[in-house]
Amino acid sequence: MTHEELERQLDVYVDGELAPDEADAVAAHLGACDPCARLHAARITLRGAIQEELPGLRAPEPLRRRVQTALREAARLPTRSAPAGGWRWLALAASLAAVGFGGWFLGQRRGTEEGLTGQVLASHVRSLMPGHLTDVLSSDQHTVKPWFNGRLDFSPPVYDFAGRGFPLIGGRLDYLGGRPVAALVYGRREHVINLFVWPATANPVEGTASTTRQGYHLFRWTASGYTYVLASDLNVSELTDFQHLLEQGETAVGAPR
Amino acid sequence: MDSSELERFEAVILPHLDSAYTLARYLTRNGQDAEDVVQEASLRAFRHFTGFRGVAGREARAWFLAIVRNAAYSMRKRQKTDELATEFDEELHSGAGADDQPGAALDRESARQSLRRALNRLGPEYREVIVLRELQELSYKEISDVTGVPVGTVMSRLSRARRRLAAALVGEGGALT
Repeated sequence: MTHEELERQLDVYVDGELAPDEADAVAAHLGACDPCARLHAARITLRGAIQEELPGLRAPEPLRRRVQTALREAARLPTRSAPAGGWRWLALAASLAAVGFGGWFLGQRRGTEEGLTGQVLASHVRSLMPGHLTDVLSSDQHTVKPWFNGRLDFSPPVYDFAGRGFPLIGGRLDYLGGRPVAALVYGRREHVINLFVWPATANPVEGTASTTRQGYHLFRWTASGYTYVLASDLNVSELTDFQHLLEQGETAVGAPR
Repeated sequence: MDSSELERFEAVILPHLDSAYTLARYLTRNGQDAEDVVQEASLRAFRHFTGFRGVAGREARAWFLAIVRNAAYSMRKRQKTDELATEFDEELHSGAGADDQPGAALDRESARQSLRRALNRLGPEYREVIVLRELQELSYKEISDVTGVPVGTVMSRLSRARRRLAAALVGEGGALT
């Protein structure tokens, strides 16, 4: 593990959110590398200082009473008075609540007339909503790939291209064209790339089909028995680079475990 | 909305009033604003509560905190247009550590002030991830739900915020260098 990789993973490690095998790798590196161990110690110290010096606060008693009174009032009155911030606020709060509880109805547009493109787009947009991006959060291809075992009837090729500027963020299950598919999530600066993978049908289309919808670029191609679909707001030229990496990943870089 | 609904709300959401106040306080940097935010958010949460059967515990807290956060940002936007925002809040500094030794108390105070100054200088999007993670111990996923940004962004914001806080402490010669 390099220092660069470690620095990227250190906060995730300190927060206990790394996959166990990744955490083991970080721990092993910390045991053998003094500068990194000092960096780690500094993070622990900072956390201690924050928790000691910036405590959680208690809601003041008058506030507690005010809230309870206001709630009683609201419960008694069937009419809902317009809030100070106007209807926009209410709409925003309502949509927030809907997002938090999975009741977002973008999926309603996934009608049959929309076809696969519409489904991919909807899936990409939905994945960008809070909490929907990944089921397994790991930059380690050896964590992400086995995660799909037992969840899919195929084992998708998974590569981490962090060294080429496209780090693997994680994966999740998705459902496209009437079948479960693997969705691999990659990052490029602030952009998110969704890569959907599933076994190709008997007569795959040659070449790459691409389209742009609502500012998102979609690429679709077939290689080595799999159909791939990319979706991202990243620019076309970098997406093309990424597509080439994926193609090389299968032949030049070597097969994943 | 009947009284059983109110009872359910009081049982499920009100236990998180301290968390709500903490987030609001650090986001608004002002006690009075924080109270207004929490009251407004509580009422909004109550209005939207009816549909959420079976929601409890951490999930309820994340949902409530998302509404609190939204209320704080709305208030900030209103104040920005009015240019009424108070940048620093001295009241927060008043709770000094009750240390017997003057020297130690001074060190503690300077560490506290360095950290608080550094935190207050961070943008709200960095401040909130620190508060949610370090003070309220939310998971990345929960922070993502509350703030409405992807987990990857939560990670990078946390990382950047911590680097700045650590640098600020070192730079100001606080007690933690």
